[in-house]
Amino acid sequence: MSKTFDRFAGIAFLLIGLLFVIESQRISKSSYGSAVGPDIFPIGLGAILILLSLRLLYETFRYQTGTKNGETVQYKKFIIIFVSALLYAILLEPLGYVITTFAFLLIAFQTMERGKWVKSILIASLFSFGVYYFFAEFLGGSLPGFPVF
Amino acid sequence: MNTLQFLMDGFSIAFQWQNILFAFAGVLIGTAVGVLPGIGPMSGVALLIPVTATLTAGLPTEAAAASSIILLAGVYYGAMYGGSTTSILLNTPGESSSVVTTLDGYQMAKQGRAGAALSIAAIGSFAAGIISLIGLVLLAEPLSNIALEFGPAEYFSLMLLGLAAVSGLAGKSMTKALMMTVFGLMLGTIGIDAVSGIARFTYDIPVLYSGLEFLTIAVGLFALGEVFKTVLERDHEDGTMAKIGRILPTRQDLKDSAAPIMRGSLLGFFIGVLPGAGATLASFFSYIGEKKFSKNPEQFGKGAIAGVAGPESANNAASGGAMIPLLTLGIPGSGTTAILMGALIMYNIQPGPLLFEDHPEVAWGLIASMFVGNLMLLILNMPLVKVFAKIIQTPKKYLLPIIIAISFFGVYAVQYTTFDLYLLLACGVLGYLLTKNDFPVAPLVLALVLGPMIENNMRRALTISNGEFSIFVSNPISLVLLIVAAAWLLVPLLLKLKGRSVVLNEEG
Repeated sequence: MSKTFDRFAGIAFLLIGLLFVIESQRISKSSYGSAVGPDIFPIGLGAILILLSLRLLYETFRYQTGTKNGETVQYKKFIIIFVSALLYAILLEPLGYVITTFAFLLIAFQTMERGKWVKSILIASLFSFGVYYFFAEFLGGSLPGFPVF
Repeated sequence: MNTLQFLMDGFSIAFQWQNILFAFAGVLIGTAVGVLPGIGPMSGVALLIPVTATLTAGLPTEAAAASSIILLAGVYYGAMYGGSTTSILLNTPGESSSVVTTLDGYQMAKQGRAGAALSIAAIGSFAAGIISLIGLVLLAEPLSNIALEFGPAEYFSLMLLGLAAVSGLAGKSMTKALMMTVFGLMLGTIGIDAVSGIARFTYDIPVLYSGLEFLTIAVGLFALGEVFKTVLERDHEDGTMAKIGRILPTRQDLKDSAAPIMRGSLLGFFIGVLPGAGATLASFFSYIGEKKFSKNPEQFGKGAIAGVAGPESANNAASGGAMIPLLTLGIPGSGTTAILMGALIMYNIQPGPLLFEDHPEVAWGLIASMFVGNLMLLILNMPLVKVFAKIIQTPKKYLLPIIIAISFFGVYAVQYTTFDLYLLLACGVLGYLLTKNDFPVAPLVLALVLGPMIENNMRRALTISNGEFSIFVSNPISLVLLIVAAAWLLVPLLLKLKGRSVVLNEEG
């Protein structure tokens, strides 16, 4: 259990709850003659979340100062993979499915473990072409296949 | 028409060639999912929803829904079979419901009886699967008849009970579980309100009008969350794998495990029917029970076959039992069934009491195909155990990027928006951070699925009562359900205050 994360999460959810309650006031009133409009449910939820977040914040003060277990976290690998996934999402539509998938897979394979280029290229191209042709040609689905010039 | 007639119709659907193929693919993928440490049944099912959606695209809606749910349910119970393999061979459970199998299974493997342990697990799972299906067939009709009498107030309280049950038992901290539930409900309110047609929290962003897509969130939280976790905290390299040796169990093994299989199946089934208490809890209780029943309890932990047979039957029976509240009441009791429910809703098929009336081919087709699928699993698992054991060695460096690519493909192929891809990545990070810090994500997904229905029923009930909230307590059935829901949350809390340790369901 991480005290810092739980405090941070407690505050974040508290703010989300507050935001929900405040923003729910702006929802237009119900158009049909019922006592219960579309704003009651979100307001109630927001209020409950605020109470629960306060409860969590209160609980964090009673945490024993826990021993940090020395896990080695591989930020570098994760960041490379995450950023390439983000680029994959951004470029998917302009560059098409086959190229972006191939590039993403190749980068990710090599980030996970260096070397074995031939095998990486083979698997990446098999997957990207295979999925595209199976989906777009065989099943008749629509995917942006290649860049449109 | 009586139940038997419906079941026969179900079999005629299950035996259509494409459905046999779907069931086969489902159980095969499920076994692989169960064997691979790192992807559990929840991520497996979530990842496959878009794939099945594209595969069934050419079929009429109802047939497509039947085929997809046949495949997805196959993944679910197939994973329960596969989970035992790594527990026995590597001492590493493939998913949380197989944790107790490691206790005796690995010991048996060390004594050179791995084959016997694996085949007893398969036989036990098969027996349990069949027993829970018979229970499902017998209970489906009466239960849905009761539920048909329910009005909005009763439904509201029933769904609240489902949520309370799942959050009361999930994770280490109930505060966190409840926060996740409420947060899931809140995410469910984004989009056009179904009752009044008024946009809520959309801020004129067009993609938000239809609400956040359940599929994207589920795939992100479960599948990507787990991938990110493995990338960040590279799991310890797997230990040496035990030799499998002779596959068939001896006569003595069979005799020793017959009673545990029966007890495990019945126990697992009833635990599975309860919302919130899933396969993990069932296998855990079965192990404790077998140790109590055994004439020589000192054998447990040293390779007692009953310690494998009981829990493995129990976790399979529980996954069958969990289908009952999903199909008859429309209340998923666990993370995986919540995802199955989301899949059905995607096909515009509402699980619940009307399912058996409105879409008998989906409901009975699924039930019948589960008989077929269990048989396939038994046939697959006995001779092919050695082949499945090979899957364990799939290198993670190829597996993880491919899982990311599959989830991207799946989400994009169904949604056609890049917005969902960003949401997917965000949910992946969120899923990793939340799970790591004991914020269970299963209640969030469950709440997201149930949220709109809870709200609709609440508002319909309040409209009937002219805004009087007392309708929920003045209605006797609704009152009982609310009391049970409150008890589900309060009892573990009271036990904790008294210093008793509470068994938790980590699987969700």
